[in-house]
Amino acid sequence: MDIKQKLKQVLIEELNLEDVTPEEIGDEEPLFGEGLGLDSLDAVELVVVVQKHFGVEIKDMEEGRPALQTISTLAAFIEAKQQG
Amino acid sequence: MRMAILGIGICCGCGNGVEALRSALQTGRVAPQEVCLERNGEADRFPTYRSSVEELSEFIPKRALRRIDHFSRMTLLGACLALKDADLLEADRSRTGVVIATGYGTLKTTFDFLDSYLDFGYACSSPTHFSNSVHNAAAAHVSMQFKATAPSLTVTQFEMSVASALLTAQLWLAEGRVDRVLFGAIDEYCEVLRYCRQQFFTDGEQGPIQPFSFDQQSAVVGEGAVFLVLTKAQEYAPYGYIDSVRLGNHLVNAVELPQDDMLIVGADGHKECGRYYAQLLKGREATAYAPLFGSFPTAAGFDLAVAALSLADRTRYPNPAVNGCANDAAEAAGRQFSDEKISCLKFGPGGDYGLIRLSL
Repeated sequence: MDIKQKLKQVLIEELNLEDVTPEEIGDEEPLFGEGLGLDSLDAVELVVVVQKHFGVEIKDMEEGRPALQTISTLAAFIEAKQQG
Repeated sequence: MRMAILGIGICCGCGNGVEALRSALQTGRVAPQEVCLERNGEADRFPTYRSSVEELSEFIPKRALRRIDHFSRMTLLGACLALKDADLLEADRSRTGVVIATGYGTLKTTFDFLDSYLDFGYACSSPTHFSNSVHNAAAAHVSMQFKATAPSLTVTQFEMSVASALLTAQLWLAEGRVDRVLFGAIDEYCEVLRYCRQQFFTDGEQGPIQPFSFDQQSAVVGEGAVFLVLTKAQEYAPYGYIDSVRLGNHLVNAVELPQDDMLIVGADGHKECGRYYAQLLKGREATAYAPLFGSFPTAAGFDLAVAALSLADRTRYPNPAVNGCANDAAEAAGRQFSDEKISCLKFGPGGDYGLIRLSL
């Protein structure tokens, strides 16, 4: 399973997004606000989720802000960290 | 100060809502669900009384519930149903207080949080699990969801939680700090609780609950939430009034049972508490409804709901059947009454007791 697909599944499970399926989450859809509708509390949970499931640490807001925009940006961030 | 009961909301093993409770009382039977846990390659099968919270999405959108755990969902459903029953879902609740009684609090989320800490360390402990694991999270969800902006309190005092919390509700109403109180009693089942009970009570958890076999351990774990909408007694009370709440210790000051009251006892198959009921009742007629919702510390709140419904229906409901046989007291049960008082008595280990008296 590729990182994007796993991310979508993990997001649904860990953030209890019962009303969404992985197929309904677009790769370029904003995670926060208008898109998937996540909020600041989810951002904190998301940092934990990424570390727990992908072994990648998001150290601060400077690093986190661009990474947590969409599924694509987050997957790219995880991939880069795993390879680096 | 007397408190008027304006509405009841219930979510437990016998179903959700007043009608489900009435139906369970009339039939006198609720079958527990069998749960099977796999542990060390062995199957552990045992009965439980579990609650369904599916109905909650009729009141609150699913998305709004996603960070809310089962304990708080039961709490919210109980509160919704009580407000609906009292026809207060649309009312202004700026002077409505929230008082919640719980024996164990949010057990499952607390242990989930501890598990995440132990498994993944500090950095990967779930912040959502942490925020939901504090005991007053459920009361906070109720206050926020219903815009109940008056004081909000959670009382945790094991078997005495209900009587203790009710005293606070009474005080707030007497002081005029609030116009109404959303009073709730909640406890939940989780696997760790099963493990602990198995260690403490060995095979005494297989049921059926036999409330009047005082020297026998027959408790079956249950869970649920029950809510009462309370106000000062000058208002018309469809479910009667709570006249008095007493909290004490039988070994220090012996309980004085009102002579002529119908008596509901919180005997739920726990041998350690059973001996106090045995000492006190000495053949006196009483009913116990634990076989309808199971054994847990705040089941006294469910006895209170049964008492309130009995007053509203002017009916003394029979003791639930055990092993297909009614108890002796069932002969006198199911009868109509016109002007009765009801006392609900709950003992905890060590002789602590709560005695709550209701009347029409």
